[in-house]
Amino acid sequence: MDEDIVDFALKYAEEKKVEYAEARGQSQIQDRLMLRNGILEAYTSAVDSGLCVRVLANGGIGFASTNKWTKEEAKEIVDLAFRYAKASGRKDKIKFEKEKGIETKWVVDQKKKIENISPEERISAFEEINKTLTTCGVKIAATMGSCNIDLISKYFVNSEGSKITSFVPKLGAFFYITVAEEGKTEQAYEQFGYSGGWEAFSQWGVAEKLVHNAKILKDVITKGKAVKAGNMDLVCGPEVTGIAAHESCGHPMEADRIVGREMSQAGRSFIYKGGPYWIGTKIGSKHATIVDDPTIEHSYGYYAYDDEGVKARRRFLYKEGIINEFLHNRESAAKLGTKSNASSRTVNYDREAIVRMANTFVLPGDMTEEELIEDVKYGVFMKSFTEWNIDDKRFNQRYVGREAYLIENGELKHPVARPIIETTTPKFWTAVDAVSKKVEFDAATCGKGDPGQGIPVFTGGPCIRLREVYVK
Amino acid sequence: MSDALNRTEEIVRKAKSLGADEVIAQTTFGRYRQVRFSNNEIDTTVAWNDYATDIALAWKKRVVATKIHNFEGVDAAVKRLMELAKVSKENPMFGGFAKGKFKYASPKADKKLIEIEDPQEYVFEAVEAARKEIGKDIDSGGILFTKFEDVYLASSEGPIGTDSRSAIELSIRAFAEREASGHSVECSSTLKGFKPARAGTKAGEIAKMAKNPKIGEEGVYDVIFDPLIYGSSLGVYGWMVSAFAVLIHMSVFVDKLGKKVAPEIVTLRDNPAEYSMSNRVFDDEGYPTKENVFIDHGVLKGYLHNTSTAKMFKTETTGNAGLVAPSAWNLEMDAGDMSKDELFEETKRGLYLTNTWYTRFQNYAKGDFSTIPRDGIFLVEKGEIKQSLKDLRISDNALAMLGNVAAISKERQHVHWWGEADPPSLSPYVLVKNVHITKSR
Repeated sequence: MDEDIVDFALKYAEEKKVEYAEARGQSQIQDRLMLRNGILEAYTSAVDSGLCVRVLANGGIGFASTNKWTKEEAKEIVDLAFRYAKASGRKDKIKFEKEKGIETKWVVDQKKKIENISPEERISAFEEINKTLTTCGVKIAATMGSCNIDLISKYFVNSEGSKITSFVPKLGAFFYITVAEEGKTEQAYEQFGYSGGWEAFSQWGVAEKLVHNAKILKDVITKGKAVKAGNMDLVCGPEVTGIAAHESCGHPMEADRIVGREMSQAGRSFIYKGGPYWIGTKIGSKHATIVDDPTIEHSYGYYAYDDEGVKARRRFLYKEGIINEFLHNRESAAKLGTKSNASSRTVNYDREAIVRMANTFVLPGDMTEEELIEDVKYGVFMKSFTEWNIDDKRFNQRYVGREAYLIENGELKHPVARPIIETTTPKFWTAVDAVSKKVEFDAATCGKGDPGQGIPVFTGGPCIRLREVYVK
Repeated sequence: MSDALNRTEEIVRKAKSLGADEVIAQTTFGRYRQVRFSNNEIDTTVAWNDYATDIALAWKKRVVATKIHNFEGVDAAVKRLMELAKVSKENPMFGGFAKGKFKYASPKADKKLIEIEDPQEYVFEAVEAARKEIGKDIDSGGILFTKFEDVYLASSEGPIGTDSRSAIELSIRAFAEREASGHSVECSSTLKGFKPARAGTKAGEIAKMAKNPKIGEEGVYDVIFDPLIYGSSLGVYGWMVSAFAVLIHMSVFVDKLGKKVAPEIVTLRDNPAEYSMSNRVFDDEGYPTKENVFIDHGVLKGYLHNTSTAKMFKTETTGNAGLVAPSAWNLEMDAGDMSKDELFEETKRGLYLTNTWYTRFQNYAKGDFSTIPRDGIFLVEKGEIKQSLKDLRISDNALAMLGNVAAISKERQHVHWWGEADPPSLSPYVLVKNVHITKSR
């Protein structure tokens, strides 16, 4: 990455009649390996490097990027971005919320530097996992595993005088397994993610988790019974709590959706000005406090400054069941008359930064998991999920259990095969009457933007108990 | 021969001289432009200039790959790649890259799409067309996207060639009320015949009909799928017919070759034809692309392959490489013999669905999944649209739904939007019987 060219691009943009300009250089060492049924399909290793400029001119935005590192090319993309911004012809001029310029450098440290782990070691680690899985006593019909390593260097400058350099190593892994028993199949995926070094690999306990999944899937086939549909209590494990927090709290609280910016793709939100839900409206019980926090060290969604140069902080989205604070970038903040809370993120130099979550989770309560279950006469404990989705206003959602058990008189009984909760956002969060102490996180890749920008996040929370919800 | 092709060939020679067994280099000079709009106004216009060469090599069945930009650092990249190959692991299933000298069709890319003068005008045209349907209360958003790529491919195994690929897409979602919207697209490989107003009008028409929706009822319905939403289904079947998806059991088509998977009226093919947004003359191994029928009158005829997966299945490559996973380029469902209107007349009581999103499987091998229809959802009675509905979900099985195709329209549309109807397809109106619909409780 040539920082001089990034500086040059900003300076050249500032010479034009712009209300705001920024330039970002990004260099990303990317290593990818993929194993199919334990065999390494291919190993790819590359450096993806380029720069972009974004300008606000005449109330319109222009964005352009290139991976040709020359001053001539930098001029070309600035000219394009400026021309595009001016041509927007907007009646309602876009404004960006202003911030003080900042000069800083932030890095995420690695205990075991990924750069020092040889490709052989990385490959062997994955082969070992596959070996453990395929000898665990469960018939595994197919496996797919991948490892993504991204060493991300960024250099951000803007017309407010900010100059921010950063380095973040990201380590991710993904597995998909198919179990075949008694002529039937069941499938599960598992994702891992970390900001930091190779030390994460041993912390994850990948093989143990996959073997656990395989055994669970076998149990679903051989012992699982469908639940008799009806109203009952539902205890959600941290994985289910986390996906619900992400889908039905994090996403509808993205201010760019709320103002309509994503209406055609990721959609809008059930929260909108003049509608039944807004800041201060009740959306859940007092036990529903959900935050989004990019500052959790080594989390998959960690960052110190967002991609508009704003310092990261924790955001309370739903606070004791009340809609509290939206996720904002500079554009949405200006539109709604508030400050950015550093929610602007991008996946690479060739993508516009947009409003994103970081690590979204339910805050813990004071009960144990056992206490939550003890007080259930009849219900289901949905520890993890498989199929899930939610509509584009983030109101109607569905989670299908992967590992789930019947609860009778406070005790866990047989596995339940694919229990389903299909309900609305207010019904889900209003039904929460108890929350356990221990928060756990899962890595995920959140999708949004056009072209799509799959961005690393954590979802999480403790166990939560929902009273009298319809489960089928 | 162009300088870019010479330099791409030079990379192949360099890798061979360092000991690689097989090498492919593919250079793409891409110009991509996008106008994004919402609330009837343009939010941002985006330009991406891309100068990239993808290099893949095999050494003793160890397959490694990298990417360089603007032909910079070729020597170091190739050297590093060879070093990586030497410490990598053998893939016994690697069947080599495509071999032979091939003659490719002449690309028909539209050079006007290198840089269109006023891309915003296409957006305004679509919005105005939707406004004509909806009136002053319209709220609309979407994208205009253009692509122009020059592609240069050289392989140590014989293939060498150039391609030019162009595309233009306008996608508009128009709202007549907060919960009354329509979505439509206009897709093409060239500017000729590209009519953004057509998309605006259809989105506006659907939005207008979708006013005053009621929450729908659970049940089993006969469903008429609009070409846009059926494009999402074709995308699912297109992925599941990739040999890679079959190998990892992410497909309902495992062990179904030669078997009946759909009624006789269903013929599905992959065809990166001239009209298609993903038109191309060769795949990532330099093998000529072609039309591949994978479901012929209801019978599963084959999977989509690269050279390696083809060897595993003891067949020929279909020109769908992918280094690792073969993929469909442009899916087509053969037209039926009914008009769209006749297809509605067939429907005594059912639903008309226009779009969907968030399709998720609990088990790809079994095919159990759900997806959430969005934009216009309509109750159809005796062939007429009776009521606009909302808040419904398809909760069904992909193989069962393919088996329940009851009628296909003559009319077809080239559709693509975001990741939801992807890859592009030529999609008709389709009547599917006995679709399970659920809702929140």
